[in-house]
Amino acid sequence: MVAKGDMVYAWTTSADLANVAECGGAVTGLLKFALENDIVDAVLAVKKGVDLYDAVPTIITDPAEIAETAGSLHCGTLLLSKLIKKYLGGANDMRLGVTVKGCDAMGIYELAKRNQVNLDNLLMIGVNCGGSVSPVTARKMIREKFEVDPNSVVKEEIDKGQFIIVTEDGQHKGISMDELEDDGYGRRSNCRRCKMKIPRQADLACGNWGVIGDKAGKATFVEVCSAKGADLLSRAAKAGAIATEAANPKGIEIRGKVENAMLKLGDKWRARYFEGLGEGKERLQKMMEDSSRCIKCYACIENCPICYCEECSTKKSYLVPPGELPPPFMFHLIRFAHVSDSCINCGQCEENCPMEIANSLYMHALQTDMEKMFGHTPGVDMELPVLALVEETAERERLAATGSDQIFDVFK
Amino acid sequence: MADTNGKLRYVPTTCPYCGVGCGLNLVVNDGKLVGVEPLKRTPINEGKLCPKGATCWEFVHSPDRLTKPLIKKNGEFIEATWDEAYDLIASKFKETYEKFGPKSLGFQVSCRTPNEECYIMQKLARVAFKTNNIDNCARICHGPSVAGLSLSFGSGAATNPFEDVMNSDVIFMIGANTIEAHPLAGRRLVQAKKAGKKIVVCDPRYTPTARLADEWVRYNPSTNIALINSIMYWIIQENLHDKEFIEKRTTGFEDLKKTVENYADVESITGVPTERVKEIARIYANANNAVIIYCLGITELSTGTDNVRSLGNLAMLTGNVGRPGTGVNPLRGQNNVQGACDMGAYPNVFSGYQKCEDDATRKRMEELWGVTGLESEYGVTLTEQITQCGDPIKAMYIFALNPVVSYPDSNHVMRSLEKLDFLVVQDLFMTETAKYADVILPGASFAEKDGTFTSGERRINRVRKAVEPPGDAKEDWQIFVDLAHTLGLQGFDFNSPEDIWNDVRRVTPSMNGISYARMEKPESVHWPCPAEDHPGTPILHREKFASADGLGHFFGIEHRPPAEVADAEYPFTLMTGRLLFHYHTRTQTGRAGLLHHEVPEGFVQINNEDAARMNIQNGEKIKLTSRRGEVETLAKVTDQVAPGVLMMTMHFADAAANMLTNTALDPLSKMPELKHSAVKVEKITGVQ
Repeated sequence: MVAKGDMVYAWTTSADLANVAECGGAVTGLLKFALENDIVDAVLAVKKGVDLYDAVPTIITDPAEIAETAGSLHCGTLLLSKLIKKYLGGANDMRLGVTVKGCDAMGIYELAKRNQVNLDNLLMIGVNCGGSVSPVTARKMIREKFEVDPNSVVKEEIDKGQFIIVTEDGQHKGISMDELEDDGYGRRSNCRRCKMKIPRQADLACGNWGVIGDKAGKATFVEVCSAKGADLLSRAAKAGAIATEAANPKGIEIRGKVENAMLKLGDKWRARYFEGLGEGKERLQKMMEDSSRCIKCYACIENCPICYCEECSTKKSYLVPPGELPPPFMFHLIRFAHVSDSCINCGQCEENCPMEIANSLYMHALQTDMEKMFGHTPGVDMELPVLALVEETAERERLAATGSDQIFDVFK
Repeated sequence: MADTNGKLRYVPTTCPYCGVGCGLNLVVNDGKLVGVEPLKRTPINEGKLCPKGATCWEFVHSPDRLTKPLIKKNGEFIEATWDEAYDLIASKFKETYEKFGPKSLGFQVSCRTPNEECYIMQKLARVAFKTNNIDNCARICHGPSVAGLSLSFGSGAATNPFEDVMNSDVIFMIGANTIEAHPLAGRRLVQAKKAGKKIVVCDPRYTPTARLADEWVRYNPSTNIALINSIMYWIIQENLHDKEFIEKRTTGFEDLKKTVENYADVESITGVPTERVKEIARIYANANNAVIIYCLGITELSTGTDNVRSLGNLAMLTGNVGRPGTGVNPLRGQNNVQGACDMGAYPNVFSGYQKCEDDATRKRMEELWGVTGLESEYGVTLTEQITQCGDPIKAMYIFALNPVVSYPDSNHVMRSLEKLDFLVVQDLFMTETAKYADVILPGASFAEKDGTFTSGERRINRVRKAVEPPGDAKEDWQIFVDLAHTLGLQGFDFNSPEDIWNDVRRVTPSMNGISYARMEKPESVHWPCPAEDHPGTPILHREKFASADGLGHFFGIEHRPPAEVADAEYPFTLMTGRLLFHYHTRTQTGRAGLLHHEVPEGFVQINNEDAARMNIQNGEKIKLTSRRGEVETLAKVTDQVAPGVLMMTMHFADAAANMLTNTALDPLSKMPELKHSAVKVEKITGVQ
């Protein structure tokens, strides 16, 4: 039996899964167990598409197929949270197991606050994440910095501050992330600023940091973060699907150190990016200039885990006249007003922007300022945001009833 | 569970709109499209999409889709079986062919259809009816590029890939509004600008692309040759031309030099002061690597081919061909403009630009196709086929085109179609053109079939089937296979688009090495690619030009005014163009909620001063009249166009620019002068 707060080493007892999975395959084993034992109806996870640079979300209902999702893909820059809302009915009618990075977990909480996903029906298996590299950048980086044909790479990993590749002929090659990123390669900019490395708001937080001794490389470090997580792990262990042992205290200490180092790195990048933005008018000027290239593809809205309104204010013609290029700055002001207190820095608004506008940087900069002012941290629990009220339907009713023109009642 | 049935699926495919060829994921749930999600793995757009691409799934399940073959009886369309439709088409085409010969038939194919379908349609026309009257709508967008670049460089395609602008020092753009018309190629410009590259945009309009430029040059509409000649004059005058390149790799320089001598000062023609021309000449010529990017502002004129050749001249004059960061690149407006031409849906070439007039080529094709008597003569081009309706063309097959809205002079098109004995239209919707048909065949959208599109950078991208066509609608390649069997033809035993593609490879040396397997990863392959172990050719003309003598050809080209210029009676110059939010005649984009929200109806841009003088308010409905027709549309008062100049888009049937446009043709490419006509503007009394 395990309980919330426990830290254990865990590994799958299935030799087949252990073969295809990494670090003991606890995550894959747990998902399979959850499917087999009717703990979830389906699993949402990521599998390899055309090659290891291609991360494809997939829904699995047959436990036999779970092995497809084994292993990690650091070139997968997907955000799974919004997919649950958009395509899976917010998990209202199904119990869904889902593997989550920090940003996925944060996005899910923000959607849950807005009644867009049903947290009760989600079983979140968190995985540590030191950041991800966009697939096209990764291929360029491997060709230009590693001087290796990206098609010959059979495995990639981020470990001990290095991006490491293994080629078909078994060669390993690693280059420090700092060097790669100083040269314009490496992780996405939002990942560099990220400080959600171990997603403890999931039910279990899993990873390889802190697995030492004879279990190194053969077990997953699991921190039990909720009663639901404890129940899953206990049942899986009891059924013999997962084996566990108490985590080595030295390993726990090392895990803490790794996490702290990552957090410090996040702080360093935040300072660098935010200082580059300047302050006050200067910052506003930069944002206005950069966003004046906008072509209204709405990717920043469609892919944002905060945005969900049926009636989006950016489509109100008295706020943003349709068809005008570039759209007035109001388009972006609406997003800032509605999103910034809850921005989780998932980076999708920037990564998917066809006009290379640093959307995520602006929103994240605003969010960190607001967090300092109001003390509200988005994405970690179910605490409601400070400014932007989140119930669209209720809000629209209030507007209709009071004749107020305030979309969000900031004075309440 | 009902929501997914465990079947939520991503199908990676290629966007059906412009010629950039962006990759995207269609999201399929329980046999229906439910959305588009980014495909981050593709090097072309890295998951990023424009408003059209992001909404491209919406029209697919429209209730307006055609779902059954229709045969017109007593003026009404009656539902029919496929066999009835096939039998009728086969017997009518056979009868017409036997009675009136190969010149009595016309075949037209859209550049939005996959390579496999373009190929099989031209094969059917040529094999069954021995006619070269087969053309595609590149004729009315980049026909002059094919003609002009072939004459200058020996190949009618873009020389360098989109991303290659990152290797340029100067990007010279003319007649191209890339940010709106090719947004994800526009993204490369944004990246280039961020990397400190200099962008020059020559355009009569202040477009979103012009806004991005370091140097925007406004010049009078359709004065491209004069402007480019003057730039070349000053390059030569200031001794900035690349003598070594000219000497080693080109012919005809003396002819060019002599011609441009008269173009020192062209301000009276172009409206651009000489000092400004000199500045631009220096910027372009002093760059280590400079690329030219152009679009329909160059081609859709009766000087189209000469405009393109002038750009070829400019690039060769400075040695800017055959290296990274250089070249001359037409941006293709449709997903498969490049491919439709490559596939030989063209009146004088088989696939891979193998000339029909060449006896050895024809003999080889006859052997490969197992036929005899292939036609050698240049067939009738797209808009000329319309003019020939009735005499000698009696029967026509229009595949996925909407000529009534998209071809010049709509009244002329409608009158012509009425003269046909028999018209087949194969499409997704009951278009303005389909109404004139005797048989309408319901085809499949890009999401309902496999195949390939060749983008503007000659990259062949896979199109993957995500869902079934609605009702009895069929995958278009299958329709042609069935029809070929009804006609009793040999050589059409294809069971899949891949089978057809392998037939393309078999007969097309420049594409022989490109298998479906090689196209599985989104990098795919740029043609030419003659063998399986050949890497493909992202950059053309590296060592030598693709021409027969291996050299680039200069041409001394004189400025000519458009066929119809503004005069006292029709004092305004009407240009036409495209919008970010719509695609062609809106049969697809008009059915996407977001795009309709952005721009629900047509309009005309008119300069502030003209509007003030005529007391026209922004948003007021006004009447435009040309010698060919009239339309009423909304005035958009702006300084984006110069005084005396108007701009309309070609998207809206209810405010159809093509009621006004001119059918005058470019003599070499038969491109109609869509971008320049003379009109008058009137207020509509009593209407606001």
